[in-house]
Amino acid sequence: MDIATVKEDVWGREVLLGVSWDLLWVVGALALAAIVVHLLIMAIMSTPELPSAEGRHLERHEGMDRGFHWIMTITVFVLLFTGVLPVIGIDFSWLTIHWIAGIILTATIGFHVFRSIFWQRPKEMWVGSQDFQEPFDDSIKPGKYSLAQKGMHHAMTIVVLLVIGTGLVLFAVIDTPWWSRSNALAESTLGWTFLLHGLSTLGLIGLIALHVYFSVRPEKRFYTRSMISGWISEDEHRANHDPGRWSPDKSA
Amino acid sequence: MAAHDVMPDVELFQPLTVEDAVALAERLGGNGWILAGGQDTYGWLKDRAKQPTTMVDLGSIESLQGIEETRSGIRIGAMTTLRDLSRHPTIRDHYALLAEAADQVASPQIRNQGTIGGNVAQDTRCWYYRRGLACYRAGGNICYADTPDGMNREHAIFGASRCVAVSPSDTATALVALDATMVIQSSNGTRSIPAERFFVSPAVNITHMTVLRDGDILTHIELPDTWAGADFYFEKVADRNVWDFALVSIAGAMRIEGGTIRQARFVCGAVECVPRRLIEVERAVIGKPRNEATANSVAALASRDAQPLNYNQFKAPLMENLVKRALRA
Repeated sequence: MDIATVKEDVWGREVLLGVSWDLLWVVGALALAAIVVHLLIMAIMSTPELPSAEGRHLERHEGMDRGFHWIMTITVFVLLFTGVLPVIGIDFSWLTIHWIAGIILTATIGFHVFRSIFWQRPKEMWVGSQDFQEPFDDSIKPGKYSLAQKGMHHAMTIVVLLVIGTGLVLFAVIDTPWWSRSNALAESTLGWTFLLHGLSTLGLIGLIALHVYFSVRPEKRFYTRSMISGWISEDEHRANHDPGRWSPDKSA
Repeated sequence: MAAHDVMPDVELFQPLTVEDAVALAERLGGNGWILAGGQDTYGWLKDRAKQPTTMVDLGSIESLQGIEETRSGIRIGAMTTLRDLSRHPTIRDHYALLAEAADQVASPQIRNQGTIGGNVAQDTRCWYYRRGLACYRAGGNICYADTPDGMNREHAIFGASRCVAVSPSDTATALVALDATMVIQSSNGTRSIPAERFFVSPAVNITHMTVLRDGDILTHIELPDTWAGADFYFEKVADRNVWDFALVSIAGAMRIEGGTIRQARFVCGAVECVPRRLIEVERAVIGKPRNEATANSVAALASRDAQPLNYNQFKAPLMENLVKRALRA
């Protein structure tokens, strides 16, 4: 199976067109396989009792961060649906919706980067040597974010920045209210841009599939709740986090 | 690109029933080529710009040919030739717009062989695309016609979304004006689609001119009696009087009662990837007489919001003049 789509042009040259969308089914199958394997492992392993949601509420996510997360969620899903549905044969006028969602996502990500650098503690997302011991030693608990959560965040960062970067290049050559379409970019530049845009889209689809799966798992569901309501309980905090590495500043 | 004088080696099927043709089309998918009159087909295949392995010739399917009157109008088999269509007495008497449009297609030889189904389903004439360049319409990432040096005299002035190609069909405008319905059969059954939605813009699908997909066969076109016997106007402006594609065409249908226009349809061809309904003109003429004053007062609406390319600014005033001529006649 090819990674890229190429076409032989009228002069017999091979022109790079973009990603091979057959990979969409490969990504779907791989994500499904990973989920099934995880389900089997979790079914075999003994399930510890879930911590109680009762008691004092500790703030995990401020309202602004939750808002960012859900705006990003909506825009990413809009981008995926408008980008992928035409590929699988569902026709509609998708381009305008796609670039508007892309602009909102770009602005949202910009806001998040700015806020996390200047108003939050970016260090909470750094991966340190202690994080790598987490999976192998039950006595080591994470700070605010586990190794898996940091890994998901960083992987998502890479693919989202790639999809935004390439998306902005493609945005520059289509009709918008601010400028008219142009064919200023060389065919090969466009081919590489479409290839990277497509590959990062496929990566995003795989990551989102895993993210959604983990967000609905029973032992992780309190994190999803915290992304909606903002809080986790003291008991959940104690069971899943090292108070020495992360102690919420205030009650929710 | 090498041009060839001979056809490539293609396996040929000649089914006798629509069901067999649909089964073949379904089985062959993108490797199959549905052949109607062949007037758009052979150029593609001889130039090797499209390389299907198999052709499904619909010419032997009797049920796809001919014109019959129904209780609510007319039913035209997709394999009816343009000549038969333009000379059919009922079409000439009640749907003269379509007869006139069919009579303007290409040349007598082509009308003898070309079919109404093939005429509406034909691909665009953009030479960058037909020459085999990897443009948007061919699945690529660029429009060669829409570059500063691109030759785009015949291309779109409306509705361009990356690709600026136009529909070359002369009968398409008439069918949209007459509220025709396209009947499509596939292995999933039969579906009917209004002519206005049969043609698709590049914003919706940049590699297809119509809603037809692999496995689909356009079997019939149904004309309701909505516009039967109305006042019609068709004009096609091209570089040559015969054997040429429209630079701009117009199909108009009007119901005139008591000296004023009660209902109107105006559709322009070759200005957009799909036949362009002139809805503002249609609204503006309602309640007015069909005369010079009305023509002059509404003509400018035809080209409102046009976005001409480097070499086709002439299309906007040409549209306006065609609207004037349609309303003066």
